[in-house]
Amino acid sequence: MATRADSAVTRPAARWDEYLFRAACFSAATLLMAALAGVVVSLAIGGWPAFKAFGWRFFITAEWNPVTDLYGAAGPIVGTLVTGFLALAMALPLALGVAIFLTEFCPRRLAQPIAVAVELLAGIPSIVYGMWGLFVFAPWFAAHVQAPLAVHLTEGSWAARFFGGVPNGANIFTASVILAVMILPYMAAVFRELFLSVPAQVREAAFGLGSTSFEAVSKVIVPYVRRGVVGVVMLGLGRALGETMAVTFIIGNAHGLPHSLFDAGSTIASTIANEFTEATGELHTASLIALGLVLFIITFAVLAIARVLLASERH
Amino acid sequence: MSLADAELNEVPHLEHPPQDALALETRGLDFYYGKTQALHGVDLGIARGKITALIGPSGCGKSTLLRAMNRIYELYPNQRAEGEILLDGEDILSGQVNAADLRARVGMVFQKPTPFPMSIYDNVAFGVRLHGSTSKAELDAIVERSLRRAALWDEVEHKLGSSGLGLSGGQQQRLCVARGIAVEPEILLLDEPASALDPVSTAKLEDTLLQLKKDFTIVIVTHNLQQAARIADYTGFMFMGKLIEFAPTASIFSTPRLVRTRNYVTGRFG
Repeated sequence: MATRADSAVTRPAARWDEYLFRAACFSAATLLMAALAGVVVSLAIGGWPAFKAFGWRFFITAEWNPVTDLYGAAGPIVGTLVTGFLALAMALPLALGVAIFLTEFCPRRLAQPIAVAVELLAGIPSIVYGMWGLFVFAPWFAAHVQAPLAVHLTEGSWAARFFGGVPNGANIFTASVILAVMILPYMAAVFRELFLSVPAQVREAAFGLGSTSFEAVSKVIVPYVRRGVVGVVMLGLGRALGETMAVTFIIGNAHGLPHSLFDAGSTIASTIANEFTEATGELHTASLIALGLVLFIITFAVLAIARVLLASERH
Repeated sequence: MSLADAELNEVPHLEHPPQDALALETRGLDFYYGKTQALHGVDLGIARGKITALIGPSGCGKSTLLRAMNRIYELYPNQRAEGEILLDGEDILSGQVNAADLRARVGMVFQKPTPFPMSIYDNVAFGVRLHGSTSKAELDAIVERSLRRAALWDEVEHKLGSSGLGLSGGQQQRLCVARGIAVEPEILLLDEPASALDPVSTAKLEDTLLQLKKDFTIVIVTHNLQQAARIADYTGFMFMGKLIEFAPTASIFSTPRLVRTRNYVTGRFG
């Protein structure tokens, strides 16, 4: 009975500007895919000589020597993963704490200035963090943690295996701390946005059943935005894994596997940054490009694992 | 004297239930949002084991009054209540009563369904787990009983483990009722619980409430006058932050004493 009304609202044939709009959106999306594929392919081609020369040993040996032209990536790979996850382990609880304080407990008059400060911190360029790490934090750490420790550590004890090393402050641990400081404000800022997005009625329902603040936050508010939380964690981890400048300043830039947490080391990004301009031999350059591919794959794997975790939780 | 003046000069007409039948009572309750006063000296008696409806035009303070009864407004720093709210003779505004304990005794169901992001079972068990340890068998029994009382058991019996977010709007709201009664509160507050529901779900929810009043005292805020007429034993009419008429539901709708109440229940304003 409503045919007349229906025909009045039937979509007119798509006009040229509609086609143009769709085409523009489509090409934006495909351009992104093409760029991604292009990066992977060029990294694979550029790194191929290294894979061909060393095979699987590229990933599991730690000898990295431009003089003998032997390259094994185990040191930077381990350094990247250890600094990344250590930084995340330090930053995550703090970031959650900051965000929960800001959304649940902080007096409103204080919340806004703190939130702005957090966002400003998130915007500081990484080289500034690196310089602060090198000139302020590393000397402090060497003088007040490593030096006293060195006096008391017995050679060969389990403690020495974890905390031994040259007391100059440039090591895996201090690099992780700097990374944690760098990703902390970013994570805290996004966590805060997430917690603010929880509907007021859901919060009220949690408190309305007699929850304490801790119970409401841990059982309802955080789970309510857990997808976002996992996403933020992965983005923070991704940033820590790929961070170059700050880490290059402070990690000590030693090849090979680090012997302890307080030992100098390297990450994939710091190795590439340090050596790319000086790489002369074909195999050296290829090995650095291969490192780039490895970093790409690690970051991709982190995101993929996050997706799988979230998908399996849905059921 | 013009009609408008007559209305303004109307003295509130309050026929409260007898004192010894009250589960909750407010005395001279004022409420403030910052500097704005939203309730003015509200005296209200809620009868035990009955359904009490609060009606009135938007912004009259009926939701505010409800939110004072379990002190949920305390989540917001600039809101405060003054006066007395007596729960079993004890003033819950005196500072002697812990908010979490109070909210276990005075449960609340909101306008929009608010299932938590967890299974149906865990939603119902949520409050019970907060307020003490229970064995798995006891918890199973509480969850089943609560879902049965909320008239949801038959629909979810075989999918207790699936997410509460997957239910329809009406089912979610009954899930919230089940979650609210699982902790055996003395009073259940409902803030326009059916306003987001279709007529069939609304009817089911109303049946559920009528069943529940055997065990619980119920206070419901509603915009739907027919709903108040159908299920409430007592009805209070609020206007501009004051409770201006309170009486058994039948007399509010058939013989309202105040002009303003009469105009509202006959649909002349509001």
